Amino acid sequence: MTTIRESSADIDAAAAAWAARVDRGPLSDKDQAALEAWAARDPRRAGAYAKALAVSAHLDRAQGLGADFAPAAHPAAKAADRRRLLATGGMLAAASVIGAVGYGALTLRGRVTTGKGDIRRAPLSDGSAVTLNTDTAIRAAFDGDMRRVDLLRGEALFDVAKDPARPFVVVAGDVRVRAVGTSFTVRTHADGRIGVVVREGVVEVWRGAEGKPVRLSAEHAVRVAGVGDLRPTIIGAAAVDRAMAWRQGQIDLDGLTLGQAASEFARYSDRRIVIDDPAVADLKMTGLFSASDPDGFAKAAALSLGLVATQETDGVRLSRG
Amino acid sequence: MTLATHERAIWLARHVLPHEPVLRAWLSRRPLAGLEIDDIVQETYAILAALDRVDHIQTPRTYMFEVAKSVVLRSLRRSRIVAFEALAEAEGLDPPSAEPSPETIAGDRQELGRIAALIAGLPAKCRQAFTLRKVHGLSQREVAQRMGISENTVEKHVGKGIGVLMNALGRGGNGRFQASRDRDVQDLIEVDHDPRKQRRH
Repeated sequence: MTTIRESSADIDAAAAAWAARVDRGPLSDKDQAALEAWAARDPRRAGAYAKALAVSAHLDRAQGLGADFAPAAHPAAKAADRRRLLATGGMLAAASVIGAVGYGALTLRGRVTTGKGDIRRAPLSDGSAVTLNTDTAIRAAFDGDMRRVDLLRGEALFDVAKDPARPFVVVAGDVRVRAVGTSFTVRTHADGRIGVVVREGVVEVWRGAEGKPVRLSAEHAVRVAGVGDLRPTIIGAAAVDRAMAWRQGQIDLDGLTLGQAASEFARYSDRRIVIDDPAVADLKMTGLFSASDPDGFAKAAALSLGLVATQETDGVRLSRG
Repeated sequence: MTLATHERAIWLARHVLPHEPVLRAWLSRRPLAGLEIDDIVQETYAILAALDRVDHIQTPRTYMFEVAKSVVLRSLRRSRIVAFEALAEAEGLDPPSAEPSPETIAGDRQELGRIAALIAGLPAKCRQAFTLRKVHGLSQREVAQRMGISENTVEKHVGKGIGVLMNALGRGGNGRFQASRDRDVQDLIEVDHDPRKQRRH
């Protein structure tokens, strides 16, 4: 489904680099030709370059701040420096560590779970944080050498605080994902496959004891089947957002079939979406839906695909009518 | 594809960039059949950059929304799987009212304050180079001399700064995941400290 495509974030970064070169002085003929060739290959590049130039021009207004401007003393600088120190996602967690250490240690002992339909965020003692999706269990065990989290079932987002001395390793089945400071999800699918989506930073994924690690960077994903190579794909920032829609209690159906959608909803609720006709189950549907409302989804699907949604006691049936 | 000129960049900075967060919000409220908002925004800029002239455009904001809508429709027609609903929905897209909303068009002073905060948020070296270049108005060569680093390094710092600010200005000033983080429920666990050394295996 996903083709390898340059991510919009990569394009923006390249465009910003070109705008910085222009900011340095008039381009050489060689650079000018290289810029034109680069931009000609994808309209998104020409657009990102235009925006980068616009931002650069906009920032010339910063002269209005005057020569006395001391950015290092600005409150935003202190906040940003602290944030970088702890890496993405760590700051909030670290702030709450101060008041609450101890209490949780006695009650939870490294194990965190959610029931069906629940989402829960749990800071870890190293400043990292984990967000558990529906019906998920993890167990965390940290020592001086390694921060290990076992994903026992379900799906979780990891915002990892930087600690180069202690790698953060998530173990799901025979798949292992290692990060230093980053943000990524790991999901165990119903059919046994393991999916990894990286939001920020870089992680390494490997399987078994001697597996060769594959590096995944931001906006990349990999899905591991029973056997075979780990083949990462670039999915783009929007797809990462979609893959993490569950944090807002939503399901994002991006070209999924109704059958697949029914399985997704079944992760979150005991109210079933029943589809008997395989032709109906193969119809595709796109959109953002509330994970806790399978009935609402069934109604929307019926409306847009010309089906009938019938309410039943433990669920809703979709059919041709 | 025609490259943006400096004059066009200034026009975009003044008339388009301030509306990008609203455009993104507008696009994100519709089912776009798997189209990526980032792609739509980039293509919208590309079209606006390539226009022969812009002096006939009375309301750039409305024009920008119409261009974005045309990008959406073209992409939807090109893609193979489209729910009929998405196409019908996109056909009926109405740009929001032409009045700029107060929160999007900040006053000059406010905007300056925002730029100050964004520059302050850059990594230290990048922040220093960026301040000398954009606030003090030194050339990149002068910045290099002042900081005792190479011009290439200054160019990299400036590029990094532009990249960070592109993201921040287009998305309305915050990191893209800020909102969801802030509302996360906080509760804390302390993990097991396993006395046995656990090794990667």
